[in-house]
Amino acid sequence: MNTSRGHGKAVKEDVWIKTTCNMCFNMCAIRVHRVDGVVMNIEGNPECPTSQGGLCPKGAAGIMLLYDPNRVNVPLKRTNPEKGIGVDPKWVEISWDEALDTITERLRKIRAEDPRKMLSIRSVTLMDYSRLTQSFAAAFGTPNTLPSGAGMHCGNGMHLFAGMMRCAWARQPDPNYLNYYLNFGGPAGYGAAYAVTGMTKKMAEARLRGMKHVAIEPWMGMPGMNCDEWIPIRPGTDAAVLLSMVNLLLNEYGIYDGESIKHYTNGPYLVGADGHYMRDKETQKPMMWDLVDGKAKPYDDTTIKDVAIEGNYSINGAKVSPAFALIKEHVKKYTPEMASQISTIPPGTIRRLAKEFGEAARIGSTIVIEGKEIPFRPVAVGCFRSAGAHRHSALTNMAIDVLQEIVGANNVAGGCLGPNSRCLGHPETGQPSYGPSEGPDGLLKVGAWAVAHTPWPVHDAKKPEMIGMNDLVPTGGISPLFIWGITEREKYKIPYKIECIMHAGSNYMMTLFDPKVLEKAFKEGIFTVSFSIYLDESTEFSDIVLPDACYLERLDLLADWETSNSPVDEWAMHIRQPVVEPMFQRRPAQKVHLELAERLGMLGDLYRQMNVRYNFREPYMLDPSKKYTWEEIVDRRLKGNFGRERGLDWFKENGLIRWPKKVEEVYWRPFIKGRIPIYFEHFKTVGEQIDKIKEEHGIPGFDTSDFQPVPDWKPCVSHEDRRPDYDLYGVYYRVPVHTFTSTYNNPWLNEAAEMEPNIYRIAMNTETAKRKGIKSGDWVVVESAGTGHKVEGRAALTEAIHPEVLAYASGGGHWSKHLPIASQREKGISPAWLIPLSWDYIDTVSLNLDLCVKVKVTKKSLREDEK
Amino acid sequence: MRYGMVIDLKKCIGCHGCQIFCKTENATPPGMLWSRVFLFEFGSYPTVEKRPLPVLCMHCGVPECVNVCPTGASVKRPDGIVTVDRDKCTGCLNCLMACPYGARNLFLENVEYFPGQGLTPYEKLGYQRHTLGVVGKCDFCLHRIGKGLEPACVKNCMAKARYFGDLDDPDSEVSQLILTRVAFQASPTVRPGVAKKPEMDPSVYYLAIKRGDNAIE
Repeated sequence: MNTSRGHGKAVKEDVWIKTTCNMCFNMCAIRVHRVDGVVMNIEGNPECPTSQGGLCPKGAAGIMLLYDPNRVNVPLKRTNPEKGIGVDPKWVEISWDEALDTITERLRKIRAEDPRKMLSIRSVTLMDYSRLTQSFAAAFGTPNTLPSGAGMHCGNGMHLFAGMMRCAWARQPDPNYLNYYLNFGGPAGYGAAYAVTGMTKKMAEARLRGMKHVAIEPWMGMPGMNCDEWIPIRPGTDAAVLLSMVNLLLNEYGIYDGESIKHYTNGPYLVGADGHYMRDKETQKPMMWDLVDGKAKPYDDTTIKDVAIEGNYSINGAKVSPAFALIKEHVKKYTPEMASQISTIPPGTIRRLAKEFGEAARIGSTIVIEGKEIPFRPVAVGCFRSAGAHRHSALTNMAIDVLQEIVGANNVAGGCLGPNSRCLGHPETGQPSYGPSEGPDGLLKVGAWAVAHTPWPVHDAKKPEMIGMNDLVPTGGISPLFIWGITEREKYKIPYKIECIMHAGSNYMMTLFDPKVLEKAFKEGIFTVSFSIYLDESTEFSDIVLPDACYLERLDLLADWETSNSPVDEWAMHIRQPVVEPMFQRRPAQKVHLELAERLGMLGDLYRQMNVRYNFREPYMLDPSKKYTWEEIVDRRLKGNFGRERGLDWFKENGLIRWPKKVEEVYWRPFIKGRIPIYFEHFKTVGEQIDKIKEEHGIPGFDTSDFQPVPDWKPCVSHEDRRPDYDLYGVYYRVPVHTFTSTYNNPWLNEAAEMEPNIYRIAMNTETAKRKGIKSGDWVVVESAGTGHKVEGRAALTEAIHPEVLAYASGGGHWSKHLPIASQREKGISPAWLIPLSWDYIDTVSLNLDLCVKVKVTKKSLREDEK
Repeated sequence: MRYGMVIDLKKCIGCHGCQIFCKTENATPPGMLWSRVFLFEFGSYPTVEKRPLPVLCMHCGVPECVNVCPTGASVKRPDGIVTVDRDKCTGCLNCLMACPYGARNLFLENVEYFPGQGLTPYEKLGYQRHTLGVVGKCDFCLHRIGKGLEPACVKNCMAKARYFGDLDDPDSEVSQLILTRVAFQASPTVRPGVAKKPEMDPSVYYLAIKRGDNAIE
């Protein structure tokens, strides 16, 4: 007999329940072990083709989230009217009835006055809440929603370009055929990004297959730990390197995919002296120059024989050039020497990488997959947040996608895929069904998109009425400007003020920027309702906190989404069902939202919104004149997509449905008519529109210099701050054991993080530290040039970091006393204190934040009581 | 039959998943890790590498822990797995001190994961499996093997970097991997450049990222 197993008692219940994880937004399929009503184990579900039975450390640690004694278990009301960081709300317990009555009364009043006064803050982790709260907000009548810091930190620039270039939300390298991965800090395959468990396995197999991975990062993160070549780079300089590579390929090596540019991009579109397309007078369509017939024709003219992508031509005396020719000329100034000066990567390295990338692309080659011939370009550029998280995010993402597209590597075998651009649906039902289609100017538009406004066709800029002013910036993603929409609404001409926040998940006080700026916005006049797991740094500003159910206690309407599926192989759509009933007085936020909607008389409107956002299909669409239970709603959505036999009961039993992807879905490029931009002509148009509106209404800020059709590298504030004291670039990174700030109270994940030398510390280069007289483990003070705030942490010295960089994990530095593990002194820092809200740190085009800040780092002299 | 494990370092990304799967499977208390991931750094900027190394009980072919056990509680089974009989263990800790890999721990008390806040339902039920005052260690998830399942750390690894099987069977997956790739056993002390097969003959092999990698020993 040996140590473990068997507590010697007979168990009455021993079951495994198939459900879906929600410790992050990846939605991996899991099976959960329940013994006598207690959750005792979580494993990956081997039946799922996306995860293939794998799981990450966070997924397994969900048990400690379920049973965390610090969770909110009863509805709470604030009794201290004063709000502030560190100010005790003086919570008292109230009944659910009182909570709902109070909330209903407030919402009813606001809806009657002006529904735009309600701001909905959601969490990107809780993807089901995301769609439901957006549906609720739309039905309520407010355009004001945001997923906390998501988007503005990580992906605004990326999503904009993914939408235009791949008709998808993000990017994934093709793990089945990729040979050369030029990775500017992107985590695909390294414990973060999308379809994490499956991509980790597949990229591991790609490494064994011989895929070469070049990891270019300021600090050796997860990608750099298992790559073929780690290349350190000064933060925020990636665009210079990328454009130098474009220059070398186009102008020196002559390696580019002319055929792909001609047929799949707007490279041949003729551009006039003003930078805009020269449009056909009659049809207003962009034109191409037919080399055989010697004249310009609209892009979709069926008589076109062969088009020019280089040269100068004349139309009625006006000089025009194909857009590609302009790009080719424009990048000439990005010599390897110039890029090296900016980035610190040696010019010889840049030349070598460009050559390797260009040759590995195997331009002109094809591959036969399942009997269909597909262009084969086994190279991809990686990036997610990382290189794009800087002042000129859009232009950096533009540089990435121009580099990929000149070798023809988007949407084809081996290259950069969007997950998941096209779905032809389950073989028996044809649902869900979405895909790219040709839009205005012959450019492709997305089939499915996560938020309201798609990247193409782009809306006209309007005078802002949204609190985040996204309507003034149609290319913008999640907007950080919402704070100014609250605190400086007169200046920005916003005609109303926010009086209510419905907050479901997310810890926005720590995941946006300078908490002091947030405090100013939230300290008075805004009735805030939070659906929360914990009393954290954000509920400190709430008026009512409702005890939320965690994923192990919930039935969700959406347990996966387009981007969470693997980019290749098979589709899998799951259920998320409760393993235990919500403990104490916890209630799933979805059910509460439905109840509130009913009380407000807007349930029918909510159903209408949900029908669209969740892809309900006839005959199972939600009838606005009826009332359904949550279970009925889930059942109807599943049946509408997967057939009458596959409703809630079927999914509870089976956990997921899977079917093989078709070649035309994964590598859809040759099968769908339409082009993608490499010249972003409409950026010019949008910039001009914004300028006009700004002038007309006297709106400050919104510098439009980046609304240009070709990419450039431009400096961040940090590059131009040459004060000798502020000599380091502060950047943050992600770790696989934590999700944003939300998991820092989890003792199992905490234990894993403590095993690593860096996660709870501040990493700096050994030589740099020596110069500053800092030793490993010393307490240091980090002062931000952006905010002026100071944070403290212990130094970790490492060789695996650029000498000019200070690096720290993204989610540390909690100060809520209700999180006893998270708020311990040595649990890292909160990067939010270092990041300002300032026009200088915002990319007007995408509304991405600039996340690099210059910092002053000094050794802290400890007081006696601190030693 | 000799059960063994192979860990492919070219696939591993150092995510600590194995550390936590082991924890949920075995309900080990705080500080007790039967599966851990170390992080090593080699070289100097910019020619530097950081490598994760997942470690566990090596179920050594020549287990020192078994040799020093005064009660016969520590045994090496015929299938190669080293176990502790909790009825015979007196908690003398000879084995703890003898193990060069730090693979053994003592169940001292039922420590709370949320200090001062009581035991969670998981801990209440899970800790019932353990006997206080005796030594605990990885047993290659013997209870799972009995049901034809792989150890938890192998089954759940998202990189699929871990393999489990019979080292005595030349056709088993683990044996084939050791044969066809550059494989090494981890030495108890990490000294770059020293490639020496450890005398205790671990049943856990690592697949090197590249030649010369056995310098990770």
